[in-house]
Amino acid sequence: MATAQVDDKYNFDVVRWFTVMAIVYLVVGTLVGVWIASELAWPVLNFDLAELTFGRLRSLHTNAVIFAFGGCTLMATGFYSVQRTSGVGLWSNKLAWFVFWGWNIIIVSAVITLPLGLTSGKEYAELEWPIDILIAVVWLAFSFNFAMTIANRKTSHIYVSNWFFLSMMVMITYLHVVNSLAIPVSLFKSYSIFSGVQDAMIQWWWGHNAVGFYLTAGFLGIMYYFVPKQAGRPIFSYRLSVIHFWALSFGYVWLGAHHLQYTALPDWTGSIGAAVSLAMIIPSWGGAINGMMTLSGAWDKLREDYILRFLIMSLAFYAMSTFEGPVMSSKTVNALSHYTDWTIGHVHSGALGWVAMVAAGALYHMIEKLWNTKMYSAGLVNLHFWLATIGTVVYITAMWVSGIMQGLMWRDYTEFGTLTYTFAESVAAMHPYYAMRAIGGMIYWTGGAVMLYNTIMTIRHASSNPSVQPSTRATAAA
Amino acid sequence: MGDYFHTDWAAMTVNDWVGLIMTVVVFFVMIWAYVYTFNPKNRDKLEAQRHIPFADDDDFRNGEKK
Repeated sequence: MATAQVDDKYNFDVVRWFTVMAIVYLVVGTLVGVWIASELAWPVLNFDLAELTFGRLRSLHTNAVIFAFGGCTLMATGFYSVQRTSGVGLWSNKLAWFVFWGWNIIIVSAVITLPLGLTSGKEYAELEWPIDILIAVVWLAFSFNFAMTIANRKTSHIYVSNWFFLSMMVMITYLHVVNSLAIPVSLFKSYSIFSGVQDAMIQWWWGHNAVGFYLTAGFLGIMYYFVPKQAGRPIFSYRLSVIHFWALSFGYVWLGAHHLQYTALPDWTGSIGAAVSLAMIIPSWGGAINGMMTLSGAWDKLREDYILRFLIMSLAFYAMSTFEGPVMSSKTVNALSHYTDWTIGHVHSGALGWVAMVAAGALYHMIEKLWNTKMYSAGLVNLHFWLATIGTVVYITAMWVSGIMQGLMWRDYTEFGTLTYTFAESVAAMHPYYAMRAIGGMIYWTGGAVMLYNTIMTIRHASSNPSVQPSTRATAAA
Repeated sequence: MGDYFHTDWAAMTVNDWVGLIMTVVVFFVMIWAYVYTFNPKNRDKLEAQRHIPFADDDDFRNGEKK
């Protein structure tokens, strides 16, 4: 039986659990996002409870979607694809389970501490020092297990998806440890060892590279394995993928300074951050085109394969947001866009459109392989696709309009040289767009809930229907 | 323009020199990577790796484990 063979050869139980938890965290994380988006439009929703205020729940939302949903997705896809591209099982199944439980304990710790206001105050690294240490330990265990599995591989070459995963592991270890260096003063309070402009630079060196290596390199690893597998065709150009990898790995580390234009950071630092950001359009678009052109000559697959639609649409958003980001990093555009909702729109174009869509495509692909079945409802996969696409477009359009309006109102002067609008007037003008953003987020969340329902029904159906024919199983297991 | 690109070499610290040298080295390594990757001689060798994700499909096709 092919399924038994696959399970004998590979360690897929832990992958199954990471897959399910990723979808659960997608629903939970985006629900918190919808709630806080609604709070901005209708502040009464915080009920005057400190634990429910935007300031506390915002970091819970970012941690839930980036580290809970994104992390479980990366660990599921990483452990799955490294086994299949190396032709061997995981180096250590026990270590993989340690990673699963360790990562989930970290997530539970975040859910408890962040609403209580226990935070280091560093963006995308809010968790306090004991949890930071646990993150480092679990992340190293994940990385070591992954690297040792590659070391045991039966193929002579390390496939490009594994290079992207490895790049993420090396850089996130380095970034997390340096950015989290702090002096503890109590069990749940510490102060960064950096101060002033150095602290700002380290913060954004981490912040942008969390985007660059965790949300981009890691998810490109997903793209380079799952797009060819779902399309049933090899990647369009392996040579382009090699250049994509090295250019991205060497280029991304420079970009953090573009978050600090017009600050106390030396001017040249921001200039170089913007210059390299613009140069990064080339490898980013090279990668996006490489993924899309994998379908060259077989575009008709998109008509019926809804999972493939997620993967290809994610590449369209990847191309769009990797063009938008460099444009926003240039000083001229940054003077208008910085501190406005345009940045939020840009981030969510990448997060909802690229990261979560490529993740959804990969998770759907894995569910069918891991449970050796087809999705319970292809129609619900299609519904999820359209809810995700429409939700993303509504969200980012609202934030683009709101952000550009904000920037223009803040810089508008009267003939007497005074500001035309007060800050409060700009906040009042944003209300309809905040309501629109909350609706866009709700549409996106509904798509995630549909995915969770479809997944539960698929697993239940697979568990209660063991009469799948061996030949079918062989096809599904491959 | 001259003022913009003016560099006070005497004021360079050890960190500055380490950063500068690493940057220049990486720049040349990237040039080498482009030349190596797009050299027609290396095309077949590199493109042959495209099929790795499909290698284990063969192992399990028809229920036969190789």
